[in-house]
Amino acid sequence: MKADEPSLARLMAMAQAGDKLAYATLLGECQRWLRSFFGRRVAPGQLDDLVQETLLALHQKLATWDSARAFLPWLAAIARYRWVDHLRRVYRADETELADEMAGADEEPAIAARISLERLFALLPDAQVRAIELVKIEGLSVSEASRACGQSESLIKVNIHRGLKKLTAMIEKA
Amino acid sequence: MSRDTTNSTGALIAQLVDGLEPVRPLRFSSGMGFALAGLGVTLATVALMFGVRPDVLAGRFDPVFLLATGLFLLLGLASAVTVIVMSRPRVGSDHGGWVWAAATTALLPAAAAIIGLGRGKDAISATSVEHGLDCLTMGSGLALMTFAVLVWWLRRGAPTSPERAGLLTGVAAGSFGIFAFSFHCIYSDIVHIGLWHSAVVVVSAAIGQIVVPPIIRW
Repeated sequence: MKADEPSLARLMAMAQAGDKLAYATLLGECQRWLRSFFGRRVAPGQLDDLVQETLLALHQKLATWDSARAFLPWLAAIARYRWVDHLRRVYRADETELADEMAGADEEPAIAARISLERLFALLPDAQVRAIELVKIEGLSVSEASRACGQSESLIKVNIHRGLKKLTAMIEKA
Repeated sequence: MSRDTTNSTGALIAQLVDGLEPVRPLRFSSGMGFALAGLGVTLATVALMFGVRPDVLAGRFDPVFLLATGLFLLLGLASAVTVIVMSRPRVGSDHGGWVWAAATTALLPAAAAIIGLGRGKDAISATSVEHGLDCLTMGSGLALMTFAVLVWWLRRGAPTSPERAGLLTGVAAGSFGIFAFSFHCIYSDIVHIGLWHSAVVVVSAAIGQIVVPPIIRW
């Protein structure tokens, strides 16, 4: 079936009522949607963990969706929240081959620009985006990131801290 | 996507589907109902434990009392509404409407500062500080009911900005707390209200921003 907004909303309403078949279909569609949604904004080696964490959050917060409203903006808010939380926690200095792996996966996420992660990043200053990308997504150490982008190590830390704080504040607003 | 990845996500989905139970969606009206019930209990507590100020009982209302309690009530409502809305996440929500209510209520301490400066040393006497501390203590204590209700609701929900939700929980609780206690406090002086009654909201907001986020993170 096609995972369009009305179909997802209908499946979700059925899932809230306890329909397991609809729920299984919904989670399958959500899994595919989330993989596309997170796209390049998470290290490939961590994509599966993040998708699973988000599906689990969806399950735990099933009651917070209002059937009078669209489904995807709700799912996107949960996905953004889990993504920012993921960026806070993740630090993988050993992901040295990440850049090469990402270069091969240039599939554009088929999602509305309004709820994309790119829209969140677009609100941050370039220096903060770069610091988060290098350390939290590409897995460089702070000193490696400092050499790569020319920011001092302390500035890298400050930019990551401020960037993540701003992302958190903008999860639903942006 | 590797086969292991597909398998582990598929296994997770199977587990989640197996554990599905029908859920009752969180309704805005239910959330507001609980928040207003909390306010009702707080008002009843003031009436039963402390008593209502005589002029209000007699149906005579001081203008400053009316304006101040009205502002605190509106700020409490605006903040509580925002907290309830924040419990149901959605990209595209602003959650900024409460700021206008807060800005309007901030006229109270601003007016208190202006009037207080004009009065000089007479504005802050030992007696007035004592009464002010009473209001600060009792108003903050009375905030606990709304505080508990909103935190419970947020824990059921999925707030994506725990810090903001915590701050607003404190603002709503403090506003409702001092709104209720205003029905006991006999002072209609703008300096007393602007300084001490507003302080309840500020203190409660600070506590909310510090205490609530760890409790409601998900």
